Formats: sequence, C-alpha cells, structure tokens
Amino acid sequence: MIEGIGVTKVFRHGRSDVVAVDDVHLNVIPGEFVLIYGRSGSGKSTLLGMLGGLINPTSGVIRVNGLDIGNLSDAMISEVRAKEIGFVFQFSGHIPTVTVLENVMLPMLFYRDGPGSLSRAVELIRRVGLSDRADAYPCTLSSGEMKRVAIARALINSPPILIADEPTGDLDIDTEYEIMQLFQQLNSEGMTFVMVTHNLDLVPFGTRTYRMDRGKMMEIPRPLPGVTMTKEPNTHLDHDAGTAMNEL
Amino acid sequence: MNYLTYLLAGIRNKAGRNLATAFCFAFIAANIFSGQYLTSGAGGSVDQGVSRMGADHLVVPAQYQVFSRGFGPENTFAVVRAEPSTYRIRADIMATVGSVQGVMKMSPQLYVATLREPALSPSPVEIYGIDPATDFTIQPWLQHPLSTPMSPGEVIVGHEIKGDISSQISLSSHTYTVAGRLDPTQSPIDRTIFLRMDDAYALAATEGIVPSSDPRVSYGDINAVLLQGDPGEGSDLVAARIRRAFSPTYITVISRHFSLDPALQEIKDLPRLLTYISLIVVVAALPLISLIAAMVAHERQREIGLIRSMGAKRHVIISLVFAESLILAATGGIFGVGVSLIAFTLISTQIIDSSALHVSFALPTVADIGMMAGVALLVVITLGSISSIYPAYQSSTISPYDAIRKNG
Ligand SMILES: Nc1ncnc2c1ncn2[C@@H]1O[C@H](COP(=O)(O)OP(=O)(O)OP(=O)(O)O)[C@@H](O)[C@H]1O
Ligand SMILES: [Mg+2]
Repeated sequence: MIEGIGVTKVFRHGRSDVVAVDDVHLNVIPGEFVLIYGRSGSGKSTLLGMLGGLINPTSGVIRVNGLDIGNLSDAMISEVRAKEIGFVFQFSGHIPTVTVLENVMLPMLFYRDGPGSLSRAVELIRRVGLSDRADAYPCTLSSGEMKRVAIARALINSPPILIADEPTGDLDIDTEYEIMQLFQQLNSEGMTFVMVTHNLDLVPFGTRTYRMDRGKMMEIPRPLPGVTMTKEPNTHLDHDAGTAMNEL
Repeated sequence: MNYLTYLLAGIRNKAGRNLATAFCFAFIAANIFSGQYLTSGAGGSVDQGVSRMGADHLVVPAQYQVFSRGFGPENTFAVVRAEPSTYRIRADIMATVGSVQGVMKMSPQLYVATLREPALSPSPVEIYGIDPATDFTIQPWLQHPLSTPMSPGEVIVGHEIKGDISSQISLSSHTYTVAGRLDPTQSPIDRTIFLRMDDAYALAATEGIVPSSDPRVSYGDINAVLLQGDPGEGSDLVAARIRRAFSPTYITVISRHFSLDPALQEIKDLPRLLTYISLIVVVAALPLISLIAAMVAHERQREIGLIRSMGAKRHVIISLVFAESLILAATGGIFGVGVSLIAFTLISTQIIDSSALHVSFALPTVADIGMMAGVALLVVITLGSISSIYPAYQSSTISPYDAIRKNG
C-alpha cells in the first residue's frame, strides 16, 4: 500500500543540516493501522508528509500502490493525493473563507467523480460531532473542532489511505474516543491508517506501532513496554469499536 | 460548492481589499473609457466643427445690418446661412471680392422668399438659392454626403422639412427632388429649402412667390457672399481690404467676432493629452496591482498548500489565481465604464448646450460606445492577467507542506 525504502529528509538550517528523517524503512500493507509516536522534533510529521506525497524526500523511495511517487508528474501526484490519500495535518487544516460543510466538501472539487457527496459530508460532520456547526465559519471554532473538520474533510472522498498527524491531539477523552471509534470502523471496512499520536493509550488500536527518535524509526514489539495491554492487538478490528474503547 | 463559489468566498472574505483592487481597475477603465469618449467626441467635432463653422465674413448690402438681428460682436453662432433680407447686391461683386488678398473661399446666397407650405413643414419655409459648386457652409451639414453634385431640380432641405432623399417636393408649380437632408441645427436653417441658384431665379420669377410689395429678384441678384479667410491673414485686415474695394454705401462686411482657433488647438491636443494620461495611469497601476496580486497570493499560501494537498493540480491553482484577478478586473472595469457612461449621459446635454456651435462635441454612437467599453475592459483584463502571471506561477510551485507549515 505505502512503502518507504531508505527514506531520508535533510533540512538545511543555515550552515548545519538537520536530519529530520533518517533512513526509514516501512511497508504498510492494506488494512493496517500503523501508529507512530515519538518525542517532539523526532521527525514524525516530516515522515508523514513524505508518505503523503507532500514533501520530497532527500533520498529514498516512496511507493504508493507500487507507484514511485518521487517520479510522478504534477497531474499524477495530484491524482494520488486526491484519490488515494486523506491527510490530516497536525496544524491548521481548514480554509477560513468557507463554512465547515464547504470545508469538508472542498476535496470533491479535485476528485469530481469520487465517492464524496453532500450526504456523506453531512454524515461525516455528524460523526465528528459538529452537526450543529456545519454552517459555521472555521474562525468561530475551537482548535479541537477545527481538527475534527480536518478529519471529516480528509475522509470525504473515502481514501484508501488516511494519514493523520495527531488527529486527536486537541481533543478531550470523550471526543477522542468517538473519533477513534470512527477510525476503527473505517479501518474495519478496509481503510488503511498511518497515524501519529502522543497518546500511548491509543496503541492498542494499532496493528503495528513505531517509535521515532531523532529521525530513526523502530518498530515496537507488542506488548508495549510499560503499557498494560488489556486487549489482544487485533481484536479491536471487530465491528464493535465501543467495546474495544471501553476496555482501555 | 464549485470553483466559483469558492473563489467568491475568498473575495468576500477580504471585501475591503478586494473592493480597493476592483476600484483600482474601475479607475483605470473609467480613465481609458473617458479618454476615448472625449477624444472621439472632440475628434469628431474637430472635423465636423471646422467644416460646419461656416463663414468668417459676410459681404452684404450696406442696409443689411438693420436686419442682422443678434449678429453683433458678442455673437458666437456659426454663419452658415445669410439672414432673410430683401436688400440685394449683384453677383458680379464676387470677381472683386475673390481677388482680395486673404480670401480663401467664397460662395453667394440668395434669399428668395418665405412660404407657407403645410405639406412640408408646420412653420413657414424659407427658400434660398446657393451655388453648390462653391458652397462651403450648407453642405457640411448634410446627414450624408451627396452621391453626385446637385443637379438642376435637386434641393437640399433642412431637418424639419418633410421629404426623404429622392422624394419629390412641390413649391408652387415647381417640383424638386430632395438630394440631401441636413442635420439639426436648432436654427431657421432647419426650416429652409436650398435650391441651385438658377432654380432659385426661376422660382423667384414665378407669380406669387416673392410678395409684390418686395423688390423683384432679378437674375444675378444675391443677398450675401459668404467668405472664408486665410487663417494666416488677420481677420480684420481681410474685412478692411474688402470694404476698401467697394463704396461703403453699397456693401458692408460683417465679420464673425469670435475665433475658434485657440480653442480648436486645445481640442486637437485633447486626444493626445488624454492618451498620455491613460498611458500613465496604466503604467502606474501595473506595479500596484501586481503588488496586490502578489500579496494576495502570498497570504493565500497556506490555503493553496492545503488544496494542493487535497489534489488540486498546478493548473487549477494557476486558474484560480488568474480567475480571481479577472473577476476583480472585470467587475471593476464594468463599474468604471458604467459610472463614466452615466456621468457622460448626464452631462452630455450641458456639453452640447454650452458649445458655441452646438456641434463642437459630437456624441459617440452606441456602437462606438460599445467599442470603447470593450477596449477599456480589454485593457483592465489584460492588466489583471499580466499582474497575476507571476503570483499565479509562484503559487503553483510552492511545496504544499512548506506552505502550510510556514503560515500555519
Ligand atoms: N521545513 C522545514 N525546514 C527546516 N527544518 C524543518 C522543517 N520541517 C521540519 N524541520 C525540522 O525537522 C525536525 C523534525 O520535525 P517534525 O515536524 O517532523 O517533528 P515532529 O516529530 O512532527 O514533532 P512534533 O511532535 O513536535 O510535531 C525538527 O527538528 C524540525 O525543526
Ligand atoms: Mg509533528
């Protein structure tokens, strides 16, 4: 589904180089729920940006569905972004000039015959708990509400892959639970997830967990050290996400 | 949700700034439109005004002044037609007048009679004889130039006289063909029929035309010689030379006591001046508008990055930036042209009324106005396009992630 081979990103900071992502190898298979955590500045967002075709790696290869996205024309990479990947940014993922509903429907402009629709937008807005704010403008929303708008927007075209950078970062436990429930349902329906989180409590949702440290990424064997797993890693794929969440 | 509503939402969001930008375009469009409007008006009037300005001098019988109502030093109307008068001079004075230094053009006119012809006009109709070959005051007023020189039996009629071109009109026992019609002049000329000199003599000889109380019109009688002087010669000097050539009890020379020449020069300079002003406005506006476009694109970076991440192709971004500029340019342009047009419509009556000749400003036709509006819109739209080329290109090349990160 998404494959990274020796993915490296070096940023120039004046004279010194910052190696944000350092020789990362990753192979996300369809239906997986990959979780990434790590300290601030360890390169998580940069890695997600590269996996989503939004940042060009300094070296290494990224394949989405077997397609090397480093070598695509603008039209083709745009198509990958529009059809294959939903992206939830860590910060500010909204257009300020249009309403919540319009924000959610915006990606439909760039994927005309996609599965996006008004009814789907309304449903997603309901699922992220913003039904009463559908006609509000983003500037009137709290940061948690904006985050939920961004999530609904990333899902409007039913992308096969959702890349989410701390999607529940600004949310209270109850809302986080609802969002994770939604993600889990979509995952059970086949959507693949790559998600960055700081909340280790969410680890049981993942089929695989990675930790990043100064650009390096390593897989964490289950159960996670120091985290008490009350649940078998894969059983949360069952359709009753509510039970899974309750057991956390 | 479509591209247009998305664009308009963006424009609405910065209503103040976008209004200012549109206003900038409106100003340019108004400037260009007005420039063309005034130029075409003035240009038309330079040609038409000069040719329709009539005579500089009238050589008339010495007694004539009595009848020259309102023809004093302060008068400013065009001398196109001599006043109706039964004092006449002989046409052979033209040989002497023509030989006076500084006389460029001359043509005789004969007032025949004033007739009641309800079939032709509710008001009395004045009949004049002119010499079509030398006439330089009447024919410039023709709505359409004559296809062939006036032949015997053909007449030129004033604006209020009924009768289409080629139709027949009757005066007493004579029938004439209308060869040409004149533009309105708001003067007695509108109720005048102009015959060839020989036809005029023939008509004058007909019983009942010239009242029996008036002196008979003999062949070779005329009422006035209309003159145009050499602009290089002093107007008073030419008049004095003519007076000197005749007895003061026989003829007198009446001169038009106004000269349009300095004003005319200004009118002729107007188009060039307006063109320069428009050019300066356009040149000055281009960097300003470019700056605004660049500013807009810069502040939209995050938004552009975001829609790029949603799969907006590069050409979509370019089109959006262009389209926004074009919407502002077109809106502003239409507004500017509209306001100018309304303003001109409101003041055009004043322009015309205030003009000495009633013709010194010719209103452009609807087609002309359409053309001018088109040119003005084309210029602002081109300007809008040019100014958004760079911002559009730049916006399309920014890395989506960096754009979001930098301006988050
Ligand atoms: N566009 C950039 N230019 C320069 N340096 C950058 C850029 N983007 C990221 N970096 C640097 O790369 C490193 C990794 O940044 P990144 O945003 O990927 O971290 P992160 O793991 O997402 O952190 P956080 O948990 O705080 O979001 C940081 O040191 C950051 O300063
Ligand atoms: Mg981050």
